Amino acid sequence: MDINFSKEDIAFRQEVKDWLANDYPKHVKEKTDNGIALTKQDMIDFHKALSKKGWMGYNWPVEYGGTGWSSTQLYIFNKEFGLAGCPPLLAFGVSMVAPVIWTFGNDEQKNRFLPDILEFNTWWCQGYSEPGSGSDLASLKTKAVRDGDNYIVNGSKTWTTLAQNADWIFCLVRTDNSGIKQEGISFLLIDMKTPGIEVKPIITIDGEHEVNSVFFTDVKVPVENLVGEEGKGWTYAKFLLAHERFGIAGLGASLRSLNRLKNIISKLNNPDLERKANELEVSLSAIEITELRLLSALENGGHPGAESSILKIKGTEMQQNLSELFVEAAGEYALMYPGPHGYGSNDKPSGPDYAAEGLSSFLNLRKTSIYGGSNEIQKNILAKFVLGV
Amino acid sequence: MNLDYNEEQIMLREQIQKFCESEYDFYKREEVIKSDKHFDVEVWKLFADQGWLSMPFSEESGGLGFGPIELSILFEEFGKALVIEPYLATVVLSGTLLDKSTYAEKIDLIDKISSGDMHISLGYAEADKGYDYLSPSTSLDSDNILNGTKTLVLNGSNAKKLIISCMKNNEFNLIILDSDTDGVSINSFLTVDGQSCSEISFENVVVNDVNIVASGDEAINLLNETINLAVLCVSAEAVGCMESCYFKTLEYTKGREQFGQPISNFQVLQHRMVDMFIESELAKSLLIKAMLEVNDNSEDMYRHVSALKSYIGKSGKLSAKEAVQLHGGMGVSEEMMIGHYLKKMISIDALFGNADYHLKKFAS
Ligand SMILES: Cc1cc2nc3c(=O)[nH]c(=O)nc-3n(C[C@H](O)[C@H](O)[C@H](O)COP(=O)(O)OP(=O)(O)OC[C@H]3O[C@@H](n4cnc5c(N)ncnc54)[C@H](O)[C@@H]3O)c2cc1C
Repeated sequence: MDINFSKEDIAFRQEVKDWLANDYPKHVKEKTDNGIALTKQDMIDFHKALSKKGWMGYNWPVEYGGTGWSSTQLYIFNKEFGLAGCPPLLAFGVSMVAPVIWTFGNDEQKNRFLPDILEFNTWWCQGYSEPGSGSDLASLKTKAVRDGDNYIVNGSKTWTTLAQNADWIFCLVRTDNSGIKQEGISFLLIDMKTPGIEVKPIITIDGEHEVNSVFFTDVKVPVENLVGEEGKGWTYAKFLLAHERFGIAGLGASLRSLNRLKNIISKLNNPDLERKANELEVSLSAIEITELRLLSALENGGHPGAESSILKIKGTEMQQNLSELFVEAAGEYALMYPGPHGYGSNDKPSGPDYAAEGLSSFLNLRKTSIYGGSNEIQKNILAKFVLGV
Repeated sequence: MNLDYNEEQIMLREQIQKFCESEYDFYKREEVIKSDKHFDVEVWKLFADQGWLSMPFSEESGGLGFGPIELSILFEEFGKALVIEPYLATVVLSGTLLDKSTYAEKIDLIDKISSGDMHISLGYAEADKGYDYLSPSTSLDSDNILNGTKTLVLNGSNAKKLIISCMKNNEFNLIILDSDTDGVSINSFLTVDGQSCSEISFENVVVNDVNIVASGDEAINLLNETINLAVLCVSAEAVGCMESCYFKTLEYTKGREQFGQPISNFQVLQHRMVDMFIESELAKSLLIKAMLEVNDNSEDMYRHVSALKSYIGKSGKLSAKEAVQLHGGMGVSEEMMIGHYLKKMISIDALFGNADYHLKKFAS
């Protein structure tokens, strides 16, 4: 056994660190370092900078313009970006719809969509969940009816992250009602500018506008926007899930957050907080090494499947626990969360800067155990496919 | 032994419940938070008419002479409906402090609080002092000039008068002054749970002798007792929140269908709701013990209030987090009430010393 990275991997890590030190856009760094929300343009600038370096296709094969990185490189890349405090990369285009397009799409679709994703010319969002279909996604009802060269789409999607910024949405739609619910689902790409689409904000408990309802009324979608075969959408959706296995633990970001927390706590002379931070550090180490074990199995030809649910569960709990400790460290100042619009015309009240920031993350991160397959669903997966019960 | 509420107390609870149901739903609450004053003048008037504003004051001061038990009932119900009105700031923190003091003009002030005509706020906390409220940096010099800054003054923006803790010649004092006195500046903001809160600074404010509410040990005891009662109240509020978290989650999961059945059918979720229920019952038990001790003004009352506060700080937050989780995406939606219980629990845990702080206080 050897837990150390190879020489090549270490050199690669240096290259990533160098990029972050020199080419990570300064105005974005300035904001993320100070806990200020990023604008749409900031996000675009960040992704375009990555694109310029040729790293946008970080998990793509070389033939489509990707990096062709090994799983270890991908791990290093994710961790270093998290450690540097970068915003999470927007997964919807590059690591969700793109693999589906290059695996199941036709050449025309590949040529039409992949280059724009690599250059971040298009912002994608994910239209899976519906008001009546969350954990039970296969029960989805948004209907697409074939009408000549078009599908006519009716229905609604919900919790659609950053749909307000999106140029395109990839949707699971129902094209057939006759068989079992998993059959009859199709994978459609829809231009957000199409008439009949309405996006309405949903404000979350941190006061942010991050998610939306998206309504479709007689939306005409050209048949050429169907990916793969009609009725096979569920297979593609499952394939897509398998593709975002790594990096979901948010390891780098948690390590960064832990370091900041320890720094804050070291000045507070509070043994309770010190103990809690130490406990989190031990758990985080356990998560990190578990991720490395799965990685190692993968690099050596294994197929870790459902085990990666461990990373989703423990990684998201870790993010939540860290943010909660920030809130506890703020003591009475935890009361003062102004919401995303700041304190308005009033002066900022005294108290540590991390108070508001900690609370905003604490509230925001509740989502991590709910989305991406809730942690309860992950446990069902582990029970069924790993424990075999 | 009898651990049941008496008929009068049951009626009080029903009266408050009825008010919350008919006059204070979630949309009303949202309106109140967004309004300029962050409380509702009509509702406050109604509180006065019902006698709730004079409830805890002694009969000598013109109050109803009710104690911590009735206050706990009120706050439990306020917790369930997430009532945002500044009862804690004006009636509990300021009113009961005055009531227990020997301050000459207290009858008049208590009368104005009871009729709903006046808000008074207590400035007890300062930046960098944590939960130590007895060594303020705010000071009154020998010429009675006040300097310093108070933080987290609940409802400070509506207060006509302010009760302020300060040091004079190394002695702890509680003084009272008009909020529009020269040299007083008020910076207001909203707390995470939608309350109005202020940071108030005093720059060479001239205070005259009659403004002293209490000095020395009397002032220390007065503040300690008042904060203790306030801790009981917010803990009762938390107990109300916990009951609602459990109940609303149960209702939601019974109505939410996934995989062709109500999600309340899933045993993992059942167990988690059972845990929420158990925690809410245990918290209620500690509340009953604490309120009876405070009612008796027993020597042990501080310990039992700390036991309660540390318990609800931890299990209350847990219940609220579970409630959010079991609601799925709905749990993080600002338009659903459930997420607001979580914010309330964060706020309550942070106020007057969090779970760790009170556990230590309990053990010492
Ligand atoms: C901030 C945020 C962003 C999101 N972004 C997107 C997006 O961009 N695109 C998109 O398509 N979706 C998105 N989602 C939706 C997300 O995927 C769903 O919220 C998630 O699938 C859960 O569904 P639900 O909210 O309907 O909860 P429900 O499925 O109703 O679940 C409620 C509770 O029941 C539990 N539960 C359900 N079934 C079972 C079971 N069989 N066993 C045990 N427990 C169970 C759940 O774990 C949960 O605790 C987002 C959600 C959030 C909160």
